[in-house]
Amino acid sequence: MSVACRRRRFLRLAALGSAAALVGGAPRARAASSVVDVCIDGDTNVSDWWTGSVKPRFEAANPGWQVNVVRTRGGTGNLAIAERALAALKVKADPQVDYLEEFNPANLPGSADAGLWTRMDASAVPAYARTNPLGRDNPFVLPYRGSQVVLAYDSEKVAPAEVPRTWDALTAWIKAHPGQFIYGRPDRGGSGRNFVVRAIHEANGRDPNLFRPDNFSKAEAEKRLPPAWAILRDLQPSLYDKGAYPAGNNPTLQLLANGTVSMISAWSDQALQAIRLGALPDTVKLAPLTDLLFAGGFTFSSIPSNAAHHEAALKLAEFVLSPEIQASVVNDMGGFPGLDWKNMPADLQAKFADVVAASLPTFPSNDWQTAMYDGWYGQVATGVDRAK
Amino acid sequence: MSPPADREEGSRALGLALVTTAFLLMALLIFLPAVLAILRTLQVEDAGGVARWSLANYAAFFADPVSRADLLFTLWVTLASIGLLFLTGGPIALFLRFLPGPLGAWVQTLALFPLFVPGIIIAYALIRFLGPNGLLATLLRLVGIVGYATPYLHAWGVIIGLVWEGLPLTVLVLTAGLAQVPDPALEAARDVGAGPLRVLTAIVLPQVGRSLVISFALGFLNIFSSFTVPYLLGPAAPQMMSVFMQRTFTEARAPERADTQAVVTFAVCVLVGLLYSRSVARERRAA
Repeated sequence: MSVACRRRRFLRLAALGSAAALVGGAPRARAASSVVDVCIDGDTNVSDWWTGSVKPRFEAANPGWQVNVVRTRGGTGNLAIAERALAALKVKADPQVDYLEEFNPANLPGSADAGLWTRMDASAVPAYARTNPLGRDNPFVLPYRGSQVVLAYDSEKVAPAEVPRTWDALTAWIKAHPGQFIYGRPDRGGSGRNFVVRAIHEANGRDPNLFRPDNFSKAEAEKRLPPAWAILRDLQPSLYDKGAYPAGNNPTLQLLANGTVSMISAWSDQALQAIRLGALPDTVKLAPLTDLLFAGGFTFSSIPSNAAHHEAALKLAEFVLSPEIQASVVNDMGGFPGLDWKNMPADLQAKFADVVAASLPTFPSNDWQTAMYDGWYGQVATGVDRAK
Repeated sequence: MSPPADREEGSRALGLALVTTAFLLMALLIFLPAVLAILRTLQVEDAGGVARWSLANYAAFFADPVSRADLLFTLWVTLASIGLLFLTGGPIALFLRFLPGPLGAWVQTLALFPLFVPGIIIAYALIRFLGPNGLLATLLRLVGIVGYATPYLHAWGVIIGLVWEGLPLTVLVLTAGLAQVPDPALEAARDVGAGPLRVLTAIVLPQVGRSLVISFALGFLNIFSSFTVPYLLGPAAPQMMSVFMQRTFTEARAPERADTQAVVTFAVCVLVGLLYSRSVARERRAA
């Protein structure tokens, strides 16, 4: 066979092959039927912990089942996944998600009434009876871990007595130490977001109950948010590099780690983990505000009632509330458990006695959050011309 | 053996079959969604929920100081980066053309190296190198220079990252353009006593004009729509259009606004794309 002939035959095959690929489509992205799809909206510390700790242990305990960890952060987030599940419910299709690691059904108004969510109780998930009652926000959530935002500071530069304990003391400290404090952009991570939320709470009589998933309106937002922008704009000139907001939880921690700033807002679990791993020097200490805590709270898992692997999702829910995983939440993630503290091992109870929060303020993650991001970018970040 | 006419017919059919897949994929996955998105931005729903043709989305875009600032910022960063790319890539390309040899090979390898490093690695490396208390600041402090102001989280951080990323392409295009300058022309000019500067301005530059245009257009399209470097190194405000779009789409959950931003970005890029295709077409005609 001549070379030209072979070439022609190759070309013909190639044309056929590419046409076949187009008609046949790519292999179905959805995996086999024994896979539980878990959507995670949290930062890398959460998804890494799931991939490295929860997934292998669950798979070892439940042979034949696999956990597919899907990161939705940086994409459209778990709200979009929940919206998709609701749409799937209406047309009786597969929602392509079995377990939302972090989603409060209250943030998708109407979805609970439509019957999208599995009611959490001891009959669905036996361990539910041992969860912290404070975390039972509504009947559709499984409080399986918790975290809070705190101040993280370098104790070599900030004397413990000097550490602010109230919002007023904090703003005074920031202004007295220009360039030494920074928080991250609110849309890139909870450490920055909950700092902004704290300013919103401060501007509204420190009453977190004014912001609920069901009471958003444009008028309400236009009344409640601008005073917080004034507070944050006023702080901006005193922040690190006159307001060079890092793009995430980790970049903010890095500025503290390399000594550029001496105080930041940080997730308690992420900071504790970083200190343990040596990513943050052990001179870094954490402190909550005492007049009103930074927002944070329980992480609510939820399970769509139309999940294709509903049984397995319930099994996973029971598993994450097992003593083994709950101890790992505390020891490996630096979070606090979803189980009531009295159901935790005595040594852990003693060790974390002072972070056992009575209740944590929260902020809804639906339209309120969207309005907060838009307001912050439009009214705070642009406050200074930084183009040059 | 079939007669020649038949064969030609056969190859044409074969050629069409080969491009059909690519064309259909382009049409279905790129053109169709793009056209739909453009149409969507030109419609607004009135109070009764009826869609009407309107330019309201664009009026809103240009009335909003944040989006105006982001568009101008993107233009500014793009032009500044291209300017720097010419300033750095130009001399390298000239060096490679006129001083080849072992040193030239090294210079070429170094200049093309960024081509093989993913943008996200560059961004993190630059954060460690240029960031506050980073390697550069530490080195400067060692030689007694204090008061280093980091470009990290500022426009210059983005520009430095983009220049690093864009250098290989600029050098490649300019080197290709310079290779077309015939040696006899250069030698003739030198024979009649032209100095290096004169050779550059009178012989070389007039012949590489098209390469400069192509390099400008490719660089512009790359940089104007770049995401990773501005996402990781840039300031919170103003932002480059790609970062702004992503934020509008996922964080502000306003797909119609993100669409409008995308169309405006696209319109700017089309203008530069036209410049590019006109230049290439003229070259084909000349060839």
